[in-house]
Amino acid sequence: MKLYDHTQNLGIRVGTIQVIAFVLLTILGARLYYLQVVKGEYYEDKAENQRIRKIPIPAPRGAIFDRHGKLLVDSRPTYNVTLSNEPIKKIDVTERVDDYARGLNVDRQYVVERLNLIKKQNDFETMVLKENASIQDITWVEAHSMEYPELRVELQPQRYYPHKEILAHVLGYVGEISPKELEKPEVREKGFRPGDIVGKGGLEQYYDEFLRGKPGYRKVIVDSRGRVQSEIETVQPQAGQDLVSTIDLDLQLAAENQLATSTTKRGTIIATDPNNGEILVMASLPSFDPNIFVQESTTPEGRKKIAAYWQDESRPLYNRAIQGRYHPGSTWKIPESVAGLEQGAITVANSHLVSGGGITIGNKFSRCMGSHGSPPLDYAITKSCDGYYYRLGSKLGIEGLTKMVETFDFDKRSGVDLPNEKVSQTPKSWRASIEKREGKWSDIRTVYASIGQDTVVVTPISLIRAIASIGVQGKMYVPHFLKEFKPIGAIGNENESTYIAARDGFGFQRPEPKLIPMTPEQNALMLKGMWGVVNGGGTAGAIKIPNFEIAGKTGTAQNSELNSGGAKDHAWFVSFAPAYKPEIAVLALIENSGFGGSHAAPAVKGVYEAYLSKRNGGQTDNQEVAKK
Amino acid sequence: MVAIIEKRDLRDFDWLTTVLAIAIVSFGVWQIFNAQPTESYWSKQIIGLGIALVAFAVVGFSDYRRIVDAAPIFYGIGLVLLLLVLTPLGVKVNGQTAWLKLPLIGQFQPSEFVKIPVVLMLAKYFGARKSGNLKIKEMLIGVAILAAPVGLILLEPDAGQAMTYFPLLAVVFFLSGIKIRYVIITIIAGLILAPAAYWVGVKTGKIKGYQQERINVILDPESADPRGYAYHTIQSMITVGKGGLTGIKGDTETSQAKLKFLPEPHTDFIFAVTAENTGFIGCISLLLAYALLLSRLVAGAREAPDRAGMLVIMAITGGITFQIFMNVGMVLGFLPVIGVPLPLMSAGLSAVLSTFIAIGFVISVKMRRFVN
Repeated sequence: MKLYDHTQNLGIRVGTIQVIAFVLLTILGARLYYLQVVKGEYYEDKAENQRIRKIPIPAPRGAIFDRHGKLLVDSRPTYNVTLSNEPIKKIDVTERVDDYARGLNVDRQYVVERLNLIKKQNDFETMVLKENASIQDITWVEAHSMEYPELRVELQPQRYYPHKEILAHVLGYVGEISPKELEKPEVREKGFRPGDIVGKGGLEQYYDEFLRGKPGYRKVIVDSRGRVQSEIETVQPQAGQDLVSTIDLDLQLAAENQLATSTTKRGTIIATDPNNGEILVMASLPSFDPNIFVQESTTPEGRKKIAAYWQDESRPLYNRAIQGRYHPGSTWKIPESVAGLEQGAITVANSHLVSGGGITIGNKFSRCMGSHGSPPLDYAITKSCDGYYYRLGSKLGIEGLTKMVETFDFDKRSGVDLPNEKVSQTPKSWRASIEKREGKWSDIRTVYASIGQDTVVVTPISLIRAIASIGVQGKMYVPHFLKEFKPIGAIGNENESTYIAARDGFGFQRPEPKLIPMTPEQNALMLKGMWGVVNGGGTAGAIKIPNFEIAGKTGTAQNSELNSGGAKDHAWFVSFAPAYKPEIAVLALIENSGFGGSHAAPAVKGVYEAYLSKRNGGQTDNQEVAKK
Repeated sequence: MVAIIEKRDLRDFDWLTTVLAIAIVSFGVWQIFNAQPTESYWSKQIIGLGIALVAFAVVGFSDYRRIVDAAPIFYGIGLVLLLLVLTPLGVKVNGQTAWLKLPLIGQFQPSEFVKIPVVLMLAKYFGARKSGNLKIKEMLIGVAILAAPVGLILLEPDAGQAMTYFPLLAVVFFLSGIKIRYVIITIIAGLILAPAAYWVGVKTGKIKGYQQERINVILDPESADPRGYAYHTIQSMITVGKGGLTGIKGDTETSQAKLKFLPEPHTDFIFAVTAENTGFIGCISLLLAYALLLSRLVAGAREAPDRAGMLVIMAITGGITFQIFMNVGMVLGFLPVIGVPLPLMSAGLSAVLSTFIAIGFVISVKMRRFVN
């Protein structure tokens, strides 16, 4: 071409530009190949992950019933206000905190906590900001839906405890799984996520895996703001299994009433069926209202109430029946008597020991309440003769007492189906540390231990388990609340991956009872003594019921070491009835009330009366109505 | 007008280039529809194409030499428009005042159009020179021609548009006999100075945090904050990669654009939409179409009757190539996010119109190749 000046190499220069253009396009093509062909699937996954969201559909939790089908715990529909992460991920919401707190009547500090928590979660997570939203709350959220798209109202089945404080310790409550729990690997393995509702305390916790259903979900496509565009699939949740407990609500109410009218209103009553270990009653006072934990944990008032429960010196959150440890006092004489017979310190033919009004060990004289001469075992039980047991304890010695502790499982948990059961403490558990500290185990400690003081503290549940066994030829059953779990049907089509299999019903897997070695003669002697406590002019003669022979043992536990400035003794009564063919065993412990015979025994009588009126056809319900 | 078109004009008319350009815009209209099916951008783009074709015909059938002669007038008008953008007549969009709203004409982006007078001005000055190596004085005049509009565009501020002006001057210098040693020195200096300047910029705080972030995400997209400044790049790469070999074939239900994960899908990120919908096959076809179009332009330059005509075509070719590379490189995640539209594909009347006017000059030059 004529224009092309060879001094400027124009043809080559134009060609160079063309080559550069092609090289640039080739670079683009190569990069495209890498992104689309080599890493296509990787990016498809990424795209899918950001557009597909699973919205859980909560599963209703199984209800809990008493042994006659009366409702103890249920779930009812409520509305939650939830906070979504996506709309607020990129913006500073500190100025909204006050608005949320005021609009929803929630604690400001709680809002801050929630915001901090949600910001740590994945983009598309949601978290409950207010449970049990009122009509006002829902209206407020709806009215501010443009301003605060992060707030939504969601239906949520909520736990409801119709009997409030009644049975609270046994039932427990539910709440969001704690961040601390979630850190445990075994908890993560089960697929728990923040915000999941789990049982906390009581049967709710112990049987959580059965009570908790399997949540369903909606798989949806969302846009970049997290708004649902369309639904891909819905998997319905499977409800949790209903639990039928061994509790008898009528007896429970009677027991709660006894505790509520006791002098200090602090204590526990347990009733079991000695023939199989079923627990009919477990009351512990003071108590708490589980509904507050479930419904009000987000409101300022509710949080104050919960804090008050934790700070209350009378410890309402603690289940005295399985967590309280008290000196057994004279109730300890029952297992000790059995041990004496078993170990040959006394025999049925000759169970006499000198009572002598007391005993001198070293320079200390321990006094007995009365002067009973040289009584036989049954009389010593009936009259609760301390002098007799000082000598029996001395004969058994620390070795014998240790053996007795092992025989009656006082060194173990009873195995009750509740979490956080405490183990009793006995000379067996103290011996090593005392010998280390004091050089030896002194005889005076053996004497104190022989009347259930000093080194002996037991849980009420372990005590009733041990003593009730006397009524059934020494069979110590594991106390339990579970009667049965009801079956629940399958969800979905068996061939699909979303299929949730049916869950079978099942009853309590009762372990074989532990057998206390006792000849029929020894057993009869024990029963005679315990029968006498109520029916033979013994320490609880005042609670005698015609045609219903109670066998029992009183106890009065000194607790001067509590340093509570001359606090009164704890009153015990442990019993079963009818004495020679027991149907029910009842224990009462009234804290700091005084003598067992005059404070604990009447409470036990109240439970027996309720039991009798129910057994004899009269409905307690009707009686209550009649009284009113 | 038809009356003055001579038979020879129609015979020499470059049908292939014209059809290619229209085909790319039509393909683009489909992608704009895929990007925003519920909006009217795609139909506006069709109207834009119609307007652009009229302007294209007017320019194509005009004698480019007369227009090049009148270059200073167009250049002056261009500078006035860029000045007006900075007055209250300018319209602010996304923090940039790049738009001008004029009565009767409506709203448009002067920085898109001013490239043409700049190219004409450069062609007029450098087309007149004779053989021999480029002198320093000539280079300074070239820089001055570019500096005025680029300075005004940087005041908007629209760094992306401003950058698209540099290849115009580079091509003109290169084709005006600049010594190869200068080219080599420039390239080496660029390779050394760019990272050094970046380092100094970061140290002195001249380069803002978000600009740094945009660079960092290119260097290491996996560790960048996917919700921060890396968002555009990451979402764009996801959208492209998701297309795979054959694309989602127009099923927009779950598309990145429809679900609003991909920002600016119909303009700056139209290539990502194309990649998602038509896959590797569609994208390579589009790149081949660009390659063919650019080849036609270069072929036209080789046949140009004079130096000015050759410079016009090559400057336009360089500008289009640079914009394609910057835009697609950004979409593919290896160049930083800079608002440069993809020629002929991105929705926008100004861009389509200016590109077609530019191609009109190519047609005009080619039609006069046997004149003289």
